[in-house]
Amino acid sequence: MATIHDNDTTTTAGEQPYGTPGAVINENVSPTGTLTVTEDHLLETGDREMVLNMGPQHPSTHGVLRVMLKMDGEVITDCDPIIGYLHRGTEKIGEAKRYAQFVPWTDRTDYVAAPLNNLGYVLAVEKLCDVEAPERAQYWRVIMAELSRIASHLVWLGTHALDIGALSMSLYCFRERETILDIFESMCGARLTTNMMEIGGFSREIPDGLAAQVRNFLRIFPGRQQEYSDILTANPIWMARTKGVGIISPEAAVSYSLTGACLRGSGINYDVRKAQPYQVYDRLDFEVPLGQYGDTFDRYLVRMEEMRQSCRIVEQCLDACETMDTPLMAYESAYVIPPHKGVLTTAEDMQRHFIWVIKGFNPPVGEVYSAIEQSKGELGYYLVSDGGPMPYRLRIRTPDFVNLAVLPHMVHGAMLADAVACIGTIDIVLGSVDR
Amino acid sequence: MSDKPSESREENAPPPGDRKVEAADAKAFAPSPSDAKAAATDIERSTPPETGLASPSPEVRGMVSAVPGTGDQWGRELWTDPDINKHPALRALREAFPDALGDVIRFRDETTIHVQRESLRDICAYLRDHEKISLNMLTDITAVDMLRLRTEPRFDVAVMLYSLRNRTRLRLKAGCNDGEPVPSLVPLWNGANWMEREAYDMFGIIFEGHPNLRRILLADDWDEGHPLRKDYPIRGWKEYPVYNTERTVPRVRTRWTGRGV
Repeated sequence: MATIHDNDTTTTAGEQPYGTPGAVINENVSPTGTLTVTEDHLLETGDREMVLNMGPQHPSTHGVLRVMLKMDGEVITDCDPIIGYLHRGTEKIGEAKRYAQFVPWTDRTDYVAAPLNNLGYVLAVEKLCDVEAPERAQYWRVIMAELSRIASHLVWLGTHALDIGALSMSLYCFRERETILDIFESMCGARLTTNMMEIGGFSREIPDGLAAQVRNFLRIFPGRQQEYSDILTANPIWMARTKGVGIISPEAAVSYSLTGACLRGSGINYDVRKAQPYQVYDRLDFEVPLGQYGDTFDRYLVRMEEMRQSCRIVEQCLDACETMDTPLMAYESAYVIPPHKGVLTTAEDMQRHFIWVIKGFNPPVGEVYSAIEQSKGELGYYLVSDGGPMPYRLRIRTPDFVNLAVLPHMVHGAMLADAVACIGTIDIVLGSVDR
Repeated sequence: MSDKPSESREENAPPPGDRKVEAADAKAFAPSPSDAKAAATDIERSTPPETGLASPSPEVRGMVSAVPGTGDQWGRELWTDPDINKHPALRALREAFPDALGDVIRFRDETTIHVQRESLRDICAYLRDHEKISLNMLTDITAVDMLRLRTEPRFDVAVMLYSLRNRTRLRLKAGCNDGEPVPSLVPLWNGANWMEREAYDMFGIIFEGHPNLRRILLADDWDEGHPLRKDYPIRGWKEYPVYNTERTVPRVRTRWTGRGV
């Protein structure tokens, strides 16, 4: 009978080669598909291995993560996460942008905690240029960073619970996150990709009423979080799905270079905010929760407690900076954008502003590594400067990329359903993994 | 949770003199009523399994921090001392590997030690297992293409280490030319696996002894080379069609530099 290729040669003028009614395309392929289990002998010999492709469009992979699983029945014997579907070459782009131009790109790496990424980058540039933001700006930076940590943890909690089966949690968590995004919107006009911080502080004034808005959130949120905790923590289904699942021993956690809740859930006390304090964290009173067993439930408890501690931090910062009337930007430094004020009225101001924006600035020759505690772990920016207006090398050490490497270790020997819980508990954002 | 003190929690003694970390250790969780209820109905949880992994340090569980300010010659403040010869890791390396060290650079309180690439793994293992230095955590492995800054060698492989004990960082740099193998750090830290795969993907650096050196961020069949090299144009070597048009993206040199990045 004719196949596709035979059809080509026998086509006469005026006749459609393909898709003619009644044409048999390939009679060797059965109309019901080819995936039929006929290899019964494999079952008899015990060799039942099957390769399962999970993702990249699977809803429980939190983006475009693709995981190749080698299964023996329902037990995972091997796992290979395949990433890169969202790779945009952010580090290469950073080498072609001037230092201040790159701040919006940091929003796009971890897009559920954009202010934290802004903070990590501007701190690296400030370290390179030896600039320090004014005290009031530092307090507001910490407020925004902690709020975005809460927002990021809320996204994690909602999606993680959704994966495991608690559908309503995602609705509740996104409701609270919405109020945080409203605060971001009041602060800078954007909700998701905030582009909030600048090298040297904040170039725009903090709007009136923002502190009251944050205080309103702080008044509402702890009670709501307690509700979430009541829903999940003592829930038998939640405990059965998380306790003893995805155990990471302390040795493995350090060996896999984990940071954030994945490391602290295993009982290792490492938080960049405590170990190498930046901004005003050394003046604030907060605690770092540690886990005990290193399983998914412990990491859940650690992140829930981190949200409570973040509320404490925000409250202390508000108390400290609400009455301050000091500047928000270190304008005295040549590495900081000149004031907007006067740009529209004075020629000199306009020229200075224009030249700075067009030409950028030339930082000293050298290299710095600056790390902050992002919501998922240690976010590090490694800048190599050759003295030019653009970074010679810009390396983003994202926590999710490093943390995700532990997934094969976690799911080895686990059930397929536990793999979903393990992916959720690492707390990945694929924009940050792939950069 | 406090009624079940674990071994790690007890031995994880807070560093004297650091008032902030004390609070972190004293109390692991502020147990809410529901947490207490969960502890009451605790279901069986096994202790972490003994894994055959390369143990990062003999005493990960019982980490004790260095005591700053007591005249300890390994103390934390010496890591950022203006006299770079007092740097504890540098002193120890000069004794143990006198021939393998190159330039030592201090910039913004960060120390970079250039080492020979052949002895990179030995140096890392020495620093990891040293009782006082204890740089037991691998933060990052990356590379820098030094094409425009010097002639030889072309790449710098940068290894960033962190000490959980001292809370200090150190950066090691090993120069290598195109195609020269760098010893892999996977035998020391499992986390090096993906970092080295990324450095291979982006720069084409060969890590000798890596179990699975293949591309990670780019596609497996990517045939355009390694994009973070300085001679790789920012838009790539090929011309790609613009979506929904007949045009292709022209390959132009970058406006400001003319250097084609």
